[in-house]
Amino acid sequence: MSECCGSLRVGQKAPDFLLETFDPAKQVFGEVSLKKLMAAKKWTVLFFYPADFTFV
Amino acid sequence: MSRDTKFVHLAWQRDEKALANVRYLMGSDPTGAACHAYNVLDEATGLALRGTYIISPQGVLLNSEMNFYNLGRNIDELIRKIRANILLAGSPAEAVPAQWKRKGDVTLKPSIKMVGRVAEAMKKK
Repeated sequence: MSECCGSLRVGQKAPDFLLETFDPAKQVFGEVSLKKLMAAKKWTVLFFYPADFTFV
Repeated sequence: MSRDTKFVHLAWQRDEKALANVRYLMGSDPTGAACHAYNVLDEATGLALRGTYIISPQGVLLNSEMNFYNLGRNIDELIRKIRANILLAGSPAEAVPAQWKRKGDVTLKPSIKMVGRVAEAMKKK
């Protein structure tokens, strides 16, 4: 994640990430990474927003 | 995902009725590392802008959209893009034209024959 900035483009490899998560379906905490999603052959949507308790 | 902790995600999801049916993972990025890597970090506020990305199972970034704080996204458009990407992944020679909505709508096979003949190609089906 240290490779720097402004080089993000469609058609290129997406940067890996590792996040703690809350899973509303199971009501449990967990972790997710792009590596893990790729290993599971999943499509990924990253949906960034400014803050909880605001409109999305 | 936002820079809130997983605890705040939990509190928000349980409190806000509009989130009652949410089933996707809520990611927490308190350090802002992922926000930074995906170029959504607003240095002036420390908050994430409304960025949306679609990544293929192979880890390739396929779509990118960015809205300012005060403009919400169109989920129908996001679903359209996901459908299009899945179709294109299975048919790499095809292209999904503007206004395409779902599987079964006309797609294009770019070729020398189509140069100047897109209108005709769009009428087929």
